[in-house]
Amino acid sequence: MRFSGFGYLIKEGIKSIWSNRMMSLASIGVLISCLLLTGTAELLTMTVSYNLESVGGTNVTRVFLEQEVTDLEAVHISDELSRMENVSATAVVTKDEAIKDYQETVGEDIFAQLMGEGNPLPNAIDVTMTDLALYDSTISAILAVDGVESARDTRAIAQKLTDLSELVSTVSLWIVIALVLISVFIISNSIRMTMYSRRFEISIMKSVGATNTFVRIPFVIEGMTIGLISGAISSVVLYFLYDTLTTAITKIMPINLIPYSQVGGFMTLVFIGAGMLIGALGSVVSIGRYLRKEGNELLGW
Amino acid sequence: MIEFRNVSKVYATGTHALNKASLTIDKGEFVFIVGSSGAGKSTFLKLIMREEVPTSGSIIVNGMQLDKMKRRHVPKLRRTMGIVFQDFRLIDKMTVYDNVAFAMRAIGVRPRAIKKRVPYILELVGLENKADRYPSELSGGEQQRVGLARALVNNPQMIIADEPTGNIDPEMSYEILELLSEINKRGTTILIVTHELDLVHSFGGRVITIDKGVVVSDTLDIQS
Repeated sequence: MRFSGFGYLIKEGIKSIWSNRMMSLASIGVLISCLLLTGTAELLTMTVSYNLESVGGTNVTRVFLEQEVTDLEAVHISDELSRMENVSATAVVTKDEAIKDYQETVGEDIFAQLMGEGNPLPNAIDVTMTDLALYDSTISAILAVDGVESARDTRAIAQKLTDLSELVSTVSLWIVIALVLISVFIISNSIRMTMYSRRFEISIMKSVGATNTFVRIPFVIEGMTIGLISGAISSVVLYFLYDTLTTAITKIMPINLIPYSQVGGFMTLVFIGAGMLIGALGSVVSIGRYLRKEGNELLGW
Repeated sequence: MIEFRNVSKVYATGTHALNKASLTIDKGEFVFIVGSSGAGKSTFLKLIMREEVPTSGSIIVNGMQLDKMKRRHVPKLRRTMGIVFQDFRLIDKMTVYDNVAFAMRAIGVRPRAIKKRVPYILELVGLENKADRYPSELSGGEQQRVGLARALVNNPQMIIADEPTGNIDPEMSYEILELLSEINKRGTTILIVTHELDLVHSFGGRVITIDKGVVVSDTLDIQS
């Protein structure tokens, strides 16, 4: 096929989106919903794994000391812990430091009043382990030390987040598959409408010796343009939706959020790419079926 | 050039449309295929255009063996022939010019070549002044001339006309045949399928008669 007729075919494809606008609009609507749902699921997965990195990515376990333990005693205990097997480093976190941390994360000034004597928090030690597989035995050894009250099991949180992440991944995978199938179906139906309205032209094209590829191009262009439009609109909607969505989520769960600037470009690319791919697929499915059957008849229709 | 050797066609419904038909049409000939409806004329055309495949026998059209032809080679065959339909098959929403240009665009001809070729062909069929009209604004005879222009525009070796005068009045019919004869004189093979025997006899030429799927006569009408 020569490139020369390409401009004409592209024009034909885009023209039919307009002449078939109700169906095109329906396709675009469905595709946008699919892309947005898929995108939200993907963002959720990304957020969970992002948080997983900050929680489970380090081998640090915070060990809380008994209330009576003073700062100096804490240093001694820290020294003792650092000599234990499987412990690579320790760091004392004094009760005042802990308050400061809270204050910084939450941003409320009332914590400032709790500094010094009135501080309800215990002193703590951050213990870094060499091998997390030995977590249980190391923790029981640590808990046996005088002055140690308890340990925060970050493994449990990490485990919960991993489970959640896997659940979200599995569920969103199925949602994505279902939505892609629905989108392909809707688009292929929309394209089929165009095709039936143009079957007369197709039969003339075939009678003068147009190849199937050539007949197919305008429809593929139509599908891909629908995909492109849907992808672009979805990206814009997501941009505005992300803020609302994340504000709502942080109210329920205090988790770290990925800034939009970090994911926005990627999501836009994915939306447009996926939209165009689904559009092309939808049109190939319908036109392929047509060309194999009715599209081959010149005289007999 | 068309060569049918012992060609039979049996449809899935059990209809025997052609029965060991053999015939040869040489390059540059002007031929009428006649026969009553259901005689096998349509099947004959469908086989030439490779819309159907023969049940047995061999078919060679413009140097290509159709009974063994792969589907992806069919466009190559169709580009060697121009087809004129009984019902004109013009696209209503396109002008005369665009209807003719459409046949060139459909096979990827360069826009510059289209701009040069279409006016030339429209002049050939006497429609140079109606390029901007729509099919609905034309008479039956004029519409068929657009159909003819479209069949001619890609410079085929052969024109196949399926009942080209079936939908136009007798006077115009004769004009269309005259035009086809003119084209034939420039070296294009012309194959006309019709059941209008009067027109055939008044015009003359080689007449192949098909009846019940068999070639029953092949004569040269001396009036030509």
